[in-house]
Amino acid sequence: METRVRKVNQHVLRDWLMSYLFLLPAFGFFLIFVAYPMLKGIYISFFNYSLRKFEFTGLDNYISLFHNETFLKSLWNTSLLVIITVPVVIVFSIFVAMNIYKKKEFARSFFRGVFYLPAVSSVVSITVVWGWIYHPNYGILNYITGLFGADPISWLGNTKTALLSIIAVLITTSVGQPIILYVASLGNIPTSYIEAAQIDRASSWQIFRKIIWPMLMPTNLYIIVITTINTFQCFALIQLLTSGGPFYSTTTVMYGVYEQAFKLGNFGMASAMGIVLAVVIGIISTIQFKYLGSDVEY
Amino acid sequence: MRTFKKGIMSLLGITLISTQLAACGSTAETPKSSEAGKETTPSNTAKPVEITWWNFPSFQALDGEVGKYEKQVIAAFNQKNPDIKVNLEMLTFEAGPEKLNVAIASNTAPDVIYDAPGRILDWGKKDLLAPLNDMITDEVKNDVSPALMKQSMVGDQVYMYPINTAPFMLGVNKTVFEKIGALNLLPLDRPDRTWSFDEYKKALQAVKEKAPDVIPSGFFAKSQAGDQGTRAYISNLGNASFFTDDYSKVAINTDKAGAALDWIVQGVKDKLVVGGSESLTGGDVNDLFLQGKLAISLNYSPVLRAQNVTLKKAEFEDILLPFPTIDGAKPRLEPYLGGMAVFNNGDDAKIAASKKLIDFIANDPEWGKKNLIQTGGLSARNSITGLYNDPEYTYAEKAREFYTNPPTVADGYAEIRTYWFPELQRALIGKATGKEALDSFAEKANEAITKAKAEAKK
Repeated sequence: METRVRKVNQHVLRDWLMSYLFLLPAFGFFLIFVAYPMLKGIYISFFNYSLRKFEFTGLDNYISLFHNETFLKSLWNTSLLVIITVPVVIVFSIFVAMNIYKKKEFARSFFRGVFYLPAVSSVVSITVVWGWIYHPNYGILNYITGLFGADPISWLGNTKTALLSIIAVLITTSVGQPIILYVASLGNIPTSYIEAAQIDRASSWQIFRKIIWPMLMPTNLYIIVITTINTFQCFALIQLLTSGGPFYSTTTVMYGVYEQAFKLGNFGMASAMGIVLAVVIGIISTIQFKYLGSDVEY
Repeated sequence: MRTFKKGIMSLLGITLISTQLAACGSTAETPKSSEAGKETTPSNTAKPVEITWWNFPSFQALDGEVGKYEKQVIAAFNQKNPDIKVNLEMLTFEAGPEKLNVAIASNTAPDVIYDAPGRILDWGKKDLLAPLNDMITDEVKNDVSPALMKQSMVGDQVYMYPINTAPFMLGVNKTVFEKIGALNLLPLDRPDRTWSFDEYKKALQAVKEKAPDVIPSGFFAKSQAGDQGTRAYISNLGNASFFTDDYSKVAINTDKAGAALDWIVQGVKDKLVVGGSESLTGGDVNDLFLQGKLAISLNYSPVLRAQNVTLKKAEFEDILLPFPTIDGAKPRLEPYLGGMAVFNNGDDAKIAASKKLIDFIANDPEWGKKNLIQTGGLSARNSITGLYNDPEYTYAEKAREFYTNPPTVADGYAEIRTYWFPELQRALIGKATGKEALDSFAEKANEAITKAKAEAKK
């Protein structure tokens, strides 16, 4: 009896050890390329770290950040970007997915391809094209609005339109993955549920609200969290289209991190900005998990 | 068999853990960049030395291949210095500055670089470079204009070996003026080509009226790239220096300079200046010029003119003119200066080898002149003239007499630049008058100067 228990324990131990050994490579990469830079970033944020100096300054970087008008403006712009982009991406993606998931295979693939194309294309190439579209003198957008008698607008040079123009581009590059996931998710909802509701004379809205939406909750949670995080980290579009202008109206926290670190060489300040952004993203993601995750059943 | 397998797995596990720990460990022990300059290892210069040369596209690409010319230079250098191996890495103007910042902060800076004073002097002030005083003989010093020498030094230390130069000026599409019969409105009959603000306005008005498809003049404020153009433009149109002579504070915020900026803002509305300039870069405006859609570009130089020959999308003759001033007084032209600097990476042998490379590039009897011509610039030395058989170069050589104190040497210059274009944008979008925008810029820039001076004293 004793021998059998010992044999079982050895077996369990070996399986346990093997499992962790298989995890080790991925865990090692995680430690080196994610955990270590993160911890180092927190550490650096307490230092005046420039090209020449590395002096401990405590919370000075954080204090000066919250007295810095440009940083506060960038926090506001980033929040605005998230508040507008995330709901639009969700609504638009569900709308497209609802309209294409029942279509024939070819049509479904075609639309999935069309909407996913910006997600797999180079952000730089897309942004360059959008830069031409928005060009104040020779852009196609001004040409089209001109056909209706409108005066040319400096889309990226006007404080009222610059952020909205960026949001429009951001939406086109963000809807690809949600549409694919929603189409897959919708395909997994048993048709018997919907048919039963139709027999009971439920309206389309009732079917969506009471059956489809709850069944989409796991996908919703993932898409909302990921889109929120990606939008918070929006950088390339800003850098290439507006460089944060005009007069800081499109500057975001990530652009500020880039400017402080790579243009001015203030790595401590840049790290502090990154940590503030990470904390904000962490808080919002936790809230999202708390309120949206409670309905999720896997 | 089971024991053997267990042994293999354990060994594999231990190896993985140890390699990862070793990777972390070696990073942690890397000396801080601040200490790099203090430790030097004396070594025998006769030993083979390997140095790394990072280069922006300072030389025009040979046969359209970036870096091909530099490789030829290295091959020629190696014929005379076979013991020095030079590893070349080409940078782009867009990503290069960031790459350099990261390399310096992570203690992996190159040994030698060809760049401009804006960055080099900043590194010099941070003790990251090896002084080149031993290379600057009295003969060299007396042959380089004080404005250029000022751009090569921090205090009494020379950190950049000046090689090529050119004044930043206006680029003018002469063909447009010929076509509309308004060539007489350009100051080409004057040897120094100086002209007044009123004459300039008349020329722009003529383009607007007689060549409706061509935008009379350019302006841009999207980012800091090319800001020497907007700086010099407002400075000349407002007859004001950018900084005080001692660089202690900003001097551009005068009523006249404010009025010049107001004129630019109004010019956009009157279609004398390109529309949407707050969202255009210097590159965008130069592109319009190269496409023949813009009559006058404000960020031009003989170097850019030479580099643009293959980039023109329309056939026209481009000429150089100085910036106009209120009463046609002497303009203030910011000098472009290109030169080489050596990073102090703590190895005397590499520093010595880098200096040899600089000396070869700048002063070799055969390659020195060749290199200058390949940059498309003029020599930083006053005695070397007549490199090109082109009237525009002859004029550019004359225009060197208008060189002004270069803003690039100011303390905190890197930070100061970040406040310039947003204030121009503020004026362009009508949120402030020209004077208000310049005052706001001056306030922030003066703070940056004070901060940088205080940092330097620590």
